[in-house]
Amino acid sequence: MNGYNFAYLDEQTKRMIRRALLKAVAIPGYQVPFGGREMPMPYGWGTGGMQLTASILGVDDVLKVIDQGADDTTNAVSIRAFFERVAGVETTTVTPAASVIQTRHRIPETPLEPGQILVFQVPIPEPLRFIEPSEQETRLMHALEEYGVMHVKLYEDIARHGHIATTYAYPVKVDGRYVMDPSPIPKFDNPKLDMSPALLLFGAGREKRLYAIPPYTHVESLDFEDHPFEIQRWDERCALCASDRSFLDEVITDDAGGRMFVCSDTDYCLTRRGELS
Amino acid sequence: MLWPTLNDPVHDSQRLFRQLLSAMSEPGTLHTLEVSSPPGDDIGPALWGVLLTLCDLDTRVWLAPGLDTPELCEALAFHTGCRLSDDPAEADFALVTPGVLAEPIAFALGSDEYPDRSTTLLVALDTLEPTGEWRLTGPGIALRRQLGLDAAAAPLMARLAANRESFPCGLDAILTCGARLAALPRSTRIEEVA
Repeated sequence: MNGYNFAYLDEQTKRMIRRALLKAVAIPGYQVPFGGREMPMPYGWGTGGMQLTASILGVDDVLKVIDQGADDTTNAVSIRAFFERVAGVETTTVTPAASVIQTRHRIPETPLEPGQILVFQVPIPEPLRFIEPSEQETRLMHALEEYGVMHVKLYEDIARHGHIATTYAYPVKVDGRYVMDPSPIPKFDNPKLDMSPALLLFGAGREKRLYAIPPYTHVESLDFEDHPFEIQRWDERCALCASDRSFLDEVITDDAGGRMFVCSDTDYCLTRRGELS
Repeated sequence: MLWPTLNDPVHDSQRLFRQLLSAMSEPGTLHTLEVSSPPGDDIGPALWGVLLTLCDLDTRVWLAPGLDTPELCEALAFHTGCRLSDDPAEADFALVTPGVLAEPIAFALGSDEYPDRSTTLLVALDTLEPTGEWRLTGPGIALRRQLGLDAAAAPLMARLAANRESFPCGLDAILTCGARLAALPRSTRIEEVA
């Protein structure tokens, strides 16, 4: 596309983000501040993830973009079209065919492979933010590894509901040091963060923070001995592909209480339906 | 003698950065960089490629005595526009040979609140092999990995092994030998095995 640099961002910005990414990888789970740029869409639509994708993307990459697991929703379609236009890269919906996957709020069901990079869009990168509004304070808490308050929050869940009621953006501890917000993925996806063969990058555009989990890094979800971490389970199977192990969305089908459960990962579901038929 | 630059600044620097990112994500893996060789013996193509990929007007570079030739200073200024610093404590990147690290040079280690504000060492080595006496474990390494360096690298490895004491503050290092490169971020546990 004329008038724009390859992948939209100018080279000076890419270098700044690249240097920050190397530091983020070197300090797993630590939020590195970066000079976030204005992108041609509003905050909250994935500007952080897009800046990271733009900084790592090359002509040989194959890009996949998902939104809540789906390749065909507005956010995914728009971002995919954006990079087709400004970088001319090949795009795909097939998880194993992608070298870079930008995601909003899901990790694909198909296990990721070594060499793949998953870029998460993050709204609020600070896991302690809802407990402590001051950035200065939360920075100090991370510096002092002062994470007791996070366990208090989970304990309050138990006191009130009888179980840990946090179901998404469930806090994790990376390599035994930093408590990190895995972005609003369902806690169903948290186990996929642990010892992932793929590199995981996180970008928050409004908050101008980026962080990373290198491949093969220990990531544990916070819990208690008597209330161990658990993921969501369903009594139903996917109504389309009959999967009993994927993350299911409940879809209302009429105004008489009709409903069905379907996979949130469209590529996984379509692939399974292709194999079944 | 002219110092070479990247033939295609946009796509070459992207390709080199992805190799760097891969090296930093999987410490101890070796990567061969396709970059034209700079003149002289001090700086190999991998090291020169890293400088061209990461340095610009926003970065301060410290050159170890012995490496700070007028030719390199001129080439860095011309190709990257980076600022040279006399103070290692304010350097984003420090160009060193392992022997230089026998002295306790005060590089930036970052602070507990901002551990990212630390110097990245760019090291010119004579030996860099995928097997040898250094055993690496930690993030980015499924089980364990090895690196083979020569005796001259001992002060460097002692300095990097000490990173665990100060974590999350510490030094990250990009080790280069000719066209090859490996990275040792501060998260890596380093042991010498007989």
